Amino acid sequence: MAGVKLENVTKLYGQKMAVKEVSFTCKEGEFYSIVGPTGAGKSTILKMLAGIENITSGTIYFNSRVVNDLPPQERNVSMAFETYNLYPHFNVYGNIAFPLRASRWGLKLSPQEERRRVEEIANFLGIIELLERLPQYLSGGQKQRVSLARALVRKPEVYLLDEPIAHLDARLKFSTQTLLKEFASKYRSTIIYVTHDYREALALSDHIAVLRKGVIEQEGTPEEIYNTPATDFVGGLIGEPPMNLIDGEIISRDGKTFFKAGDDFTIQIRDDMINSMKKAVIQKDGRTIIRLGIRCEHIKASRQKTSENSFQLPVYAITHEAESSIVTFQLKDSFLHVKMGGESGFGDYNLSEMVWLDFDQNHMFFYHNTVDVSKV
Amino acid sequence: MSRVDLNHVWKIYPRGNVVGVKDLTFTCNDKEFLAVLGPSGGGKSSTLRMLAGLEEISRGEILFDGKVVNHVGPAERNIALAFESYALYQRLTVYENIAFPLRARRMKHAEVDQKVKYIAELLDLIPVLNKYPSVLAGGHQQRVSLARAFIRKPNVTLLDEPISHMDQRVRATLRARIRRLHDELRLTTVYVTHDQAEAISLCDRVAILNKAELQQIGTVDDIWNQPANRFVAYFVGEPAMNFINGRIETPQDVSIATPKGKRVIRFSGELDTKYVGAEITVGVRPQQIEVSRNKKYEASIPGSVKVIEFQGDTTVLTIKLGDVGNSEVKVVVPAAERYSTSATLWLNFSPDIIYLFDNDMPILRRKVH
Repeated sequence: MAGVKLENVTKLYGQKMAVKEVSFTCKEGEFYSIVGPTGAGKSTILKMLAGIENITSGTIYFNSRVVNDLPPQERNVSMAFETYNLYPHFNVYGNIAFPLRASRWGLKLSPQEERRRVEEIANFLGIIELLERLPQYLSGGQKQRVSLARALVRKPEVYLLDEPIAHLDARLKFSTQTLLKEFASKYRSTIIYVTHDYREALALSDHIAVLRKGVIEQEGTPEEIYNTPATDFVGGLIGEPPMNLIDGEIISRDGKTFFKAGDDFTIQIRDDMINSMKKAVIQKDGRTIIRLGIRCEHIKASRQKTSENSFQLPVYAITHEAESSIVTFQLKDSFLHVKMGGESGFGDYNLSEMVWLDFDQNHMFFYHNTVDVSKV
Repeated sequence: MSRVDLNHVWKIYPRGNVVGVKDLTFTCNDKEFLAVLGPSGGGKSSTLRMLAGLEEISRGEILFDGKVVNHVGPAERNIALAFESYALYQRLTVYENIAFPLRARRMKHAEVDQKVKYIAELLDLIPVLNKYPSVLAGGHQQRVSLARAFIRKPNVTLLDEPISHMDQRVRATLRARIRRLHDELRLTTVYVTHDQAEAISLCDRVAILNKAELQQIGTVDDIWNQPANRFVAYFVGEPAMNFINGRIETPQDVSIATPKGKRVIRFSGELDTKYVGAEITVGVRPQQIEVSRNKKYEASIPGSVKVIEFQGDTTVLTIKLGDVGNSEVKVVVPAAERYSTSATLWLNFSPDIIYLFDNDMPILRRKVH
């Protein structure tokens, strides 16, 4: 296994900047995910690592070796594509065994050893009974697991996996995700993993890069990405419901500082929060504009006023999770989701009832406004 | 607006004599939000299509407010339909898309305008009324499709996977919107989905279909606490219920074999004595298992952490109990608690969380809280 390092890697398609000065390091044995919406440049990065796409500028290292000009066949990587790319004339066994037979790796396995390895990975991924079938007789989910098995059957320097479980149904996706994580830690594999699904990234990774329009918006451990989103984009991309983002302005009165969200509510900002807040403000039309971010589990809802800083909002709707509920409140231009459960009850409120809310300021963030959060 | 009854409804497709729906009987009460949940091929879509009048009923009856509608055409059933694909008219503005069902009924312009504005207001579509669907994002388009479905006061609203394919960024809000519309317009809604989280999220009751048959109908609490069979127990809940082999020791105790010997666990309720000595399956939900770093009780079960999956506010641990078959258990713990792989943990099963199955059928009557 190898470590992978990108230094200021840029990819231009004609005039279009697909990837802009991306730098990150995936250490040997690490599970590194690149997460972002469609078109962010995730797959382009993976293709440059594989050598399928040229690099416009910048450097890619495998360990300390520059691989910029190495053709794909000379990079010791194993790749799974979202589109499967199975060989239609080979059966499942032949597809999975293919990388073991490639002469450039010089494995020269005995037929028994080849079969042992193919069956081991096929068994692991629950497709052992499909070995004799041709790809055309497989469902999308089965093809995807075959494609993943083909990528995992050999031990390369780096695994490059592009949405490898995106097309599995929910149950199978979660169980395959667990298997993949088990595989990664068992073999201490270096894996670079591309996904649009933040849940996969959080569950699988040692480190995550959040990509937006070809640029890394935040890099960190899953806990950092979830608990301390660097921008409103990251907060809005991660979590279901995603982080609540509320636009408002800063007001000073009697030496105290307040966040005012239009006519919806006003809360006093704790002194130790003021510094972080000041960094995020924008002056516009003589007003001090700011965006507040808070996750649904850090807001307390109650029929009683719980603190001086509580405020009331009308209940818009109540939906449920298995062991909690999501109470949605209506703001003028957006919604506010609050998670309830356990001791605080499940929020047995009536529609349009005015309920007291309290923000936990330890988990409150201030951002520049960089994404549109108007009512979806 | 209307109560819906299915009375021994069958759908048999003549080609190959395939049974799409088998002897289906259930009721969706007036103003109820009922989810029809199941894996693909379970019979959900056939059921929906028969309700909508798009598919003939092979046997049995469908009734709206007590009246048989088997031979009433789709248009006369006064049903609102919204699908996974929005099926909007691309050449019409949002306004005209929403107004379409009213125009088709030759309603007066002023009345059309008033109704379109009302529903557009509810769905925050006023700013986009003059735009064309193609310039709107998916979540927006689905709202237009919902507005068009709801513009007439329908007898029954049928929704077929309207949001499960959407980006998670809009899912929570669209769910809230759909529930709000249902409550505010006092609709009777049948919501078809393969996604158990979606069903739990929205509905008053759930009807679970598998292999063309009704498995269970009830509130989420009923289904969570009293699953009718092992399929239902496994299908509802994420991560799915854990199943462990066990043996009934006394009418109140079950034992589980572990590498460190047998553990005897007390469960709530009492079994018939005929079960004593029986090899059965113990079910435990990952959300309900308590873990501790030290042995807490005589019955605590030791295991080692194999995989840790962070989920944001919670973490899922896959814990290996032993070296022999079905010996892995998933546990959901708060994300603030940190664990490392290979650490030894103790699982504590309180009596209330135990489910017992014999041949896939529940044998223990559990309390519904």
